[in-house]
Amino acid sequence: MEIKLEKFSKSFGSVKVIEELDLTVGNGEMIALLGPSGCGKTTTLYAICGIHRVSAGRILFGDRDVTALPPQEKNVGVVFQSFALYPHLSIYENIAFPLRIRKEKNADIERKVREISATLYMEHLLERRPGQLSGGQQQRVALARALVRRPDILLMDEPLANLDASLRLEMRTEIRRIQQESGCTSILVTHDQVEAMSMCDRIALMNNGVIQQIGTPDDMYHQPRNKFIAGFIGNPPISFIDGAVENGQFTSQGMSFGLPDNLKKASLTSGQKVSVGIRPEHLQPGSENPVAGEVTFIESQGREILYDLKLGDGQMLRSIQSGARTCKLGDRVTWSINVNAVLFFDAQDERILPA
Amino acid sequence: MRRLRSFLPLWFMLPASVIVTLFFVIPVFMTFAFSFTTMSSDTGVLGNRYIVSEATLLKLKELNIDPVLVASLGEIRFVFDDTNLKNISQLNLKPSLLKEINTKLKNKVFATEKKLYAALKTLKNRPRSFKDRKAISKATVSSMMNKEFLTADEFSQGLVSVGINLDAPAFNQLLELTNTSWHWTTDNYAELMASDFTLKILGNTLFYVFCTLFFNVGFALLLALATFYMPSGQSKIFRALWLIPRISPSVIYVLLWKWFTFDSGFMSHFLSSFGFTPQDWLKEFPWVFVILANGFVGASMGMLIFSSAIVAIPGDVLRAAEVDGAYPLQQIRRIILPLLAWPILFVTSYQTLSLLTSFEYILLLTDGGPGFFTTETWALNAYHTALSNYFGNLRYGFGATLAVVLVVVGIILSLLYLRLFDFKKLVTEPQIET
Ligand SMILES: Nc1ncnc2c1ncn2[C@@H]1O[C@H](COP(=O)(O)OP(=O)(O)OP(=O)(O)O)[C@@H](O)[C@H]1O
Ligand SMILES: [Mg+2]
Repeated sequence: MEIKLEKFSKSFGSVKVIEELDLTVGNGEMIALLGPSGCGKTTTLYAICGIHRVSAGRILFGDRDVTALPPQEKNVGVVFQSFALYPHLSIYENIAFPLRIRKEKNADIERKVREISATLYMEHLLERRPGQLSGGQQQRVALARALVRRPDILLMDEPLANLDASLRLEMRTEIRRIQQESGCTSILVTHDQVEAMSMCDRIALMNNGVIQQIGTPDDMYHQPRNKFIAGFIGNPPISFIDGAVENGQFTSQGMSFGLPDNLKKASLTSGQKVSVGIRPEHLQPGSENPVAGEVTFIESQGREILYDLKLGDGQMLRSIQSGARTCKLGDRVTWSINVNAVLFFDAQDERILPA
Repeated sequence: MRRLRSFLPLWFMLPASVIVTLFFVIPVFMTFAFSFTTMSSDTGVLGNRYIVSEATLLKLKELNIDPVLVASLGEIRFVFDDTNLKNISQLNLKPSLLKEINTKLKNKVFATEKKLYAALKTLKNRPRSFKDRKAISKATVSSMMNKEFLTADEFSQGLVSVGINLDAPAFNQLLELTNTSWHWTTDNYAELMASDFTLKILGNTLFYVFCTLFFNVGFALLLALATFYMPSGQSKIFRALWLIPRISPSVIYVLLWKWFTFDSGFMSHFLSSFGFTPQDWLKEFPWVFVILANGFVGASMGMLIFSSAIVAIPGDVLRAAEVDGAYPLQQIRRIILPLLAWPILFVTSYQTLSLLTSFEYILLLTDGGPGFFTTETWALNAYHTALSNYFGNLRYGFGATLAVVLVVVGIILSLLYLRLFDFKKLVTEPQIET
């Protein structure tokens, strides 16, 4: 079932949290709502499932307007950030809860609970109480409870936030598998971009209650629409250098290079202030488009090594290189920029697109 | 947590310990001791007194003791002993008369006022005015009746001073008969078991405690739940409103109930417009109002505890119930009430104990009436028996027996409730990781 938010706004008292947000999630699609803490992800989710009343705008499930519908009348499964299991009920009863509310027959309930707990490898936990489960197990119970009544829509609010790294990896694939099998339209709230990129069809990147860009993970990475997106997506993050365009060249006090061909035709005037974004993998040892600086930080990340390069004017560039360490702290080095991959932003932080 | 090794905390606790000992521990032990005595306002608490009372005279008559002696014990005398002479000297009399009294009447005893006046007339400086004569009579009047004597010697002096002289056997017999001291006994408990009133009061108490408890806890729950689902502004007003019974003085509060219910009060007035004849509703339905008055006051505490317990339920748990399809009534039945099990148990146990022992509202509202023992509960009866008996004789010993039963029941209930609370530890087992 398709989810459509039309000019959805939400304010708490005088505080406007979301303003005129438009978002469409296709039938069976899984979209990630990505953004920094406090940007309004949970608020959007709560509005979709009906917990929050909408201040303005419309919410549609398929063709049906569900803006004013209370949560009880929407068939939406929600996995809460805190899991929100019922502490006084056994795991079996936790999962059975939505079915009991619908007054389904005991035999049906039994069959459905067994089925979903088999899918999530948790049949041995059914007799326990939530307090007796580990974080990962609770997370699976929360997922089972959301899925057991075959929801039209599945909303997950940072479901993996409380898990350790290996469990997180395992659950990522598991959630994706179940979502694809059940085919229900899903929104996954997260502020972890790796999670968003690896699990979802598309990403909606939010900041300050506004969706900055919607696209595939690749889109977001290579074609960010503004500086915020470029800075948010990518780990280790992109580095920005402030400078100006002069005579077909980008110049700052610490470095300069010729503009790439496809950008020369863009409406860049001479003397215009711009900011360039250079991802760590685009600064490598070499001699083309050289940039010189001092190595001020080295961090080994296992397969790769992360360097910080301090330019003459004090601005910093980041570089990630595979292979053996080529320099040591304090060395002055000259590395090469892959100019064709450099991102240009104007004074309003908007991307300057190639012509 | 590391515990302190020094005795310092004990010193900080000292004032509290003193108060607890003084006002709670010692009284409990004393009550227990008193319950095995015959103490009453007749015997006094200190014991070993010699008192000639109406009861003593009756007893003496029954024993066929010399009627003249009995009569003289009960009569008043006019005695010119040292104490009374001193009293006379303080009257505003002529010095010459004073002197004459001191010399001529010293240590004389007159059986009647008439005889006294006759004797006064024989004096040279006899008092002219009736007022003076009356003053002298008043200053010398003495009687054995209802006087406390601490020792046999004092008692004997007292007899002599009112002109009664007895030989040793007669004196000793009288001494024994007037000794009022209490003694140890288990009769109080036997009486309690045998008394017809015991069952009546027990029934009253159970009825009162259960009904009030039910109203109290149920109403508190209702308020807490209602205010939880209300818009927050309204619920704040509502909660504040329900604290008023707590902060209003109980005497005023009960007075308001009385005004509300009496035959030209608000209720009669209101109901008369529906054709009901005005009447004293408190007299008509005493239990209803005893339970309502107590219940409304008690509800505020429960409401506060339940409200804070509901607020402490994680918001996401209730939101989860919402998206799982549960409407408020289902949320209450399936989520909130089960999660409130402990607060409910706590409030119930706390209220049981306080209802069992407190009686101020019944005392002020009906004083156990109307009629005989209609709303008399155990604690109120203990109070009536020992401390405020309308018929005069305060029975400390029997009152203490009633109180002891209450203390024992209270302790048993407390232990029972403590067991139930401990049960919580069993429920929350340690977290198991697999
Ligand atoms: N009930 C509320 N009353 C007032 N302000 C609120 C309320 N709920 C959320 N907000 C505000 O709305 C903004 C967005 O909150 P929201 O919970 O949606 O953030 P989020 O994106 O989910 O953040 P996080 O990643 O930390 O969970 C925040 O600034 C928050 O302070
Ligand atoms: Mg959130």
